[in-house]
Amino acid sequence: MGSLNSYLPIFLLAVLAVAFAALSLVASKLLAPKRPTVAKEEPYECGIVPTYEPPRRFPVRFYLVAMIFVIFDVEVIFLFPFAVIYNQLGRFGLVEIIVFALAVFFSFIYLIANGALDWGPVKATKPNIGDGAMRTTRGTVRRYGSKDNKAA
Amino acid sequence: MITGVIAAQALHLPHVNYTTIMPELILLGGMLVLLLVSALFKKALPRDFYATSVVGVGVASLIASLVLYHDVASHGPFTAIAHSIDIDGFSVLFLTLVSCIMIVYPFFAHAYLQREGLDGVEFFALPLISGAGAMFMASANDLILIFLGLEILSLPLYVMAGMDQRREASGEAAMKYFIMGAFSSAIFLYGMALTYGATGSLNLAEISAFLAKNYIFGNGVLLAGMGLLLIGFLFKIAAVPFHYWSPDVYQGSPTIATGFMAAIAKAGAFAAMIRVFMATFPTLASDWQPLLWVIVVLTTLFGAVVALVQKDVKRMLAYSSINQAGFILLGLQADTSKGIGASLYYVFIYSFLILGTFAVVAIAGARGDAIHDIDDLRGYAKSHPFLATSLAIFLVAQAGAPFTTGFLAKLQVVTAAIDAHSYALAVIAMISAAIATGFYLRIVYVMFGDGTDTRVSVPAEKEVYSVSPLGQLGVSPWLFTGIVLCLSVTILFGFWPQPLVDFATHAKLLFV
Repeated sequence: MGSLNSYLPIFLLAVLAVAFAALSLVASKLLAPKRPTVAKEEPYECGIVPTYEPPRRFPVRFYLVAMIFVIFDVEVIFLFPFAVIYNQLGRFGLVEIIVFALAVFFSFIYLIANGALDWGPVKATKPNIGDGAMRTTRGTVRRYGSKDNKAA
Repeated sequence: MITGVIAAQALHLPHVNYTTIMPELILLGGMLVLLLVSALFKKALPRDFYATSVVGVGVASLIASLVLYHDVASHGPFTAIAHSIDIDGFSVLFLTLVSCIMIVYPFFAHAYLQREGLDGVEFFALPLISGAGAMFMASANDLILIFLGLEILSLPLYVMAGMDQRREASGEAAMKYFIMGAFSSAIFLYGMALTYGATGSLNLAEISAFLAKNYIFGNGVLLAGMGLLLIGFLFKIAAVPFHYWSPDVYQGSPTIATGFMAAIAKAGAFAAMIRVFMATFPTLASDWQPLLWVIVVLTTLFGAVVALVQKDVKRMLAYSSINQAGFILLGLQADTSKGIGASLYYVFIYSFLILGTFAVVAIAGARGDAIHDIDDLRGYAKSHPFLATSLAIFLVAQAGAPFTTGFLAKLQVVTAAIDAHSYALAVIAMISAAIATGFYLRIVYVMFGDGTDTRVSVPAEKEVYSVSPLGQLGVSPWLFTGIVLCLSVTILFGFWPQPLVDFATHAKLLFV
């Protein structure tokens, strides 16, 4: 302990990383020829001139599926080292990993129950009062400007 | 091949004593069961069921915490699970505190969901995870476990901040909280790495033993590590200058989540922070005390002054909680066992104050957390005498009024600062308390002063709660019970503080 020499490689690596990024940017600014055409200005789509605009917003379900993937990805990351030294861990390891797998599985059940994998027409799985809660008498009065309209 | 290499080393399994982490296991197990039950029933279960279950889980974890308390009282403090868990008076106090928060919170969550007309397990399952994280932070004797606890504590809070999908501000709060939280976690991790590089261990006891044996000149790596750890903690407790996220997050989150967040995040972060700085870096006290001196001055004064000019109740309470965090830091800054006892007492009583305050503010805020201007509370005492009186008590307690828990809390931290000869600091803190009294009393004045409640939504509220005999007070039985619990802690221990003070002063750290 006491010498900072062991940190020198890390420091050098950091300097190198920054220098590389800066150099690449500057070099491409200086060296690259700039002859823009209409096709080049378009969003990149594998070199093909796109025929229509891509949709701006993707359904949020894609993210849910991605999250389910991440859940099981994480589980596998933990299962792998367990499998490697399975024999040494013995019954203790087995019980622990089963508890862990169950916890992950419960969250999966929760996701399914909330319609994470329902790709049909959107249906509310839980009573959803939607905009109703935003509608206070105060807001309604303000919106319609009438003091007599006190329903809600 | 790999198998052969690893198998060559004998694997040493630590002895896992599950009773030492029983409160955490109960919370996490309860959360899993709640999630599963909610998933298996096609129809949304009544929120009565969820709230009752969480109260039950909280009571179970409270019992488990008290069993540990009994162990500590009879056999003395000990470490467990490969020395990564400390069971001492200090961790037991926090286990008890978090269990109590878990018992009180569902009452408020129930009232909030009832008003919003929402069902769902999320508002009940997420806090259980958060609570387990706070417990891990309090009993961790290892930087890795503190970090894990920090993440377990924070992640559900990010989600809870964004639970109100109908308000844009809620999503904004979640995003801000998440990004700032992730940022501070990264800083904290880097601090851990540097500390490990300087001392060769992540175990708190081993780090402090190493530092006690070796005096290192000009150890920039160690100081940088400690500084980054400090920043990580200060982010979580929202001390100036790391407070920027807190007013926006407090304002944007569903009000009931704000109250929970304020209570649990402070409890967890202060627990880990006090342990790390008192038990691990006591030899560096001459380095971190001046830092904290500046932080306390900034935090108390800034929180109090900026809160004065707020128009929104939640924003004002956010700055007020920054001010209160400064007071809790005051006890830590003293670096004495008396100061720690004072800080612990402060954290304990503040959790109930802030839960109760935000519960009333949430109910006063009407559907969709729509009405949170301070001026909208005009005439609240006439339309809702019970709620207004409760809020007034919580607020004057935060200001440090006598016969409430807040008085002794402020008195103790300031006395601890004076005993540590930080006279200037004590004076500055008291000045900030005097300023803070101004905005606490302003709300009380607005509520009890002239003017009538202009909120048109009041009849609708009566309708929601009219089924109960307490409907006359404008509260549901759940809300009533929760507020009475918080009030009784505040007033009972205000008149008869000795048991709680003893509990806090005997909450000794294992390695000091």
